[in-house]
Amino acid sequence: MKSLSQSPRPRPSCAELRRARPLLGTLVEITAGGVPAARLARAVARAFAAIEVVQARLSFHDPASDLARLNQAGPSEWVTVHPLSATVLRHARTLARTSTGRFDAAVAPRLQSWGLLPRPRPAVPRSVVARGSAGLEFAAGGRVRLPGPMILDLGGVAKGYAVDRAVAVLRRAGVTRGLVNAGGDLRVFGDWTAPVQVRHPGQPGAFFALGGLRDGALATSALTYSARKWRGRTVGALVDPRTGQACGHGVSISVWARSAWLADGLTKVVASAWAEGRGAGSAADTCGVVVAGEPAGTGFSLTGLLSRYQARAVVVAADGRAEWLGAETESLFNHDHVA
Amino acid sequence: MRLSPLFTAATALVASTSGYATDYLSVEQAQQVFFAGATLVAVPLQLSPAQAKVVAQKSGVKLRSSSVRVWAVTGGGWFFVDEVLGKHEFITYAVGLDAAGAVRGVEILSYREAYGGQITTPKWRAQFAGKTSVSPLRLDEDIANITGATLSCRHVMEGVKRLLAIYEIALAVPSAAPVLR
Repeated sequence: MKSLSQSPRPRPSCAELRRARPLLGTLVEITAGGVPAARLARAVARAFAAIEVVQARLSFHDPASDLARLNQAGPSEWVTVHPLSATVLRHARTLARTSTGRFDAAVAPRLQSWGLLPRPRPAVPRSVVARGSAGLEFAAGGRVRLPGPMILDLGGVAKGYAVDRAVAVLRRAGVTRGLVNAGGDLRVFGDWTAPVQVRHPGQPGAFFALGGLRDGALATSALTYSARKWRGRTVGALVDPRTGQACGHGVSISVWARSAWLADGLTKVVASAWAEGRGAGSAADTCGVVVAGEPAGTGFSLTGLLSRYQARAVVVAADGRAEWLGAETESLFNHDHVA
Repeated sequence: MRLSPLFTAATALVASTSGYATDYLSVEQAQQVFFAGATLVAVPLQLSPAQAKVVAQKSGVKLRSSSVRVWAVTGGGWFFVDEVLGKHEFITYAVGLDAAGAVRGVEILSYREAYGGQITTPKWRAQFAGKTSVSPLRLDEDIANITGATLSCRHVMEGVKRLLAIYEIALAVPSAAPVLR
């Protein structure tokens, strides 16, 4: 506890503003600094507004959102969406492809049957399978089409994307350093190293200090709050799309990446690969946390994917044992090219 | 992107237990956020048992107190300060309504959370009796940036529903157009 209280908090000498609003189903906190107070206030208000736009376009709950219209349209129909929605859908498709299905935005029916997303009316037809977003189709004019009967939920990347949008707005407004934290999907930019703590996967009132984050994003997925019993099994908001089973039991999975949508989405990939490795009984590592870096015979390499995205992951078990995966070297990202 | 992890490769992290607490805005600052330059006048508002019942029915949320902290804004509009208490978190927030009763915005004024055996829930809750956002309570030291295990804003959204019902029952001019959207 003391080590945390003694760790230096960033206290920029210039004006600093810290605000929080209830958005994206969580509390979104924005800290910004480096410009005079009045400009800061306007910039932060605009950043919150940008998050509201992402929320309105990609909400699973709001029947008027682009996402809801796409889900309602079904597989044969092209749906015109906002460029922002098309970007997030493309991100979802990219990650579904590069992870060979370990991330999939089509897991929504699973989450619905577990009570983690509202059930649609009428009920989901049996033909709907909880995978397949790698096949999303795009056409000119911002048109998108589902490749088959499926229901998408962009919860896996949209929150991170909203954080990226907020950061872009702050930067455009001249803010020189800041942090946007959407309930644990966070991104830091500018001249600032932010100390970051991750919640204990079993005891949400306890924290592990992970280190300092500078010019990058960090997202964490864990079942700490979402886990519940369903027909005698523990289920939660982390689903392995290839098995339809909940994954990530007892651990928290954090990913560093250059942008928050990517960090957000990669946590799901790590969770699936972790479950895969455990299921196959492969490679328990030196500290006992079982991580599926290279599940045998699948042709998939988690560490390969992480280095492709210049990302790093850490899996923290309830007893504090941590396994770090991905690029060892400091990544030299050009943060200007972040989505 | 740069990350300075405390450790690399397989390591053991040391957990710390702490209350997470942050103050964002004072009541006066929040008033200026929603209604810059305007004058706000506190309106003493005590709901009758009958009104409280209707509010609970309309909003689907139980009323914690029959007294409401609300200010009238010169030139139209209302400003509320309210608190919601979850199992582990205590959130003070402000809501601004425009003259027609539409939500202008919601700002979190302060956030506190506590877990753990040493802080039993009833006792922890009791600490907050009579507390307002202008008499902040320090729970241990605050923690800078937390990742993992998403906090829910469900209680705040329920609280906003309740304030809108209170507005409709006790403050809206009867002849005004429907204001709940």
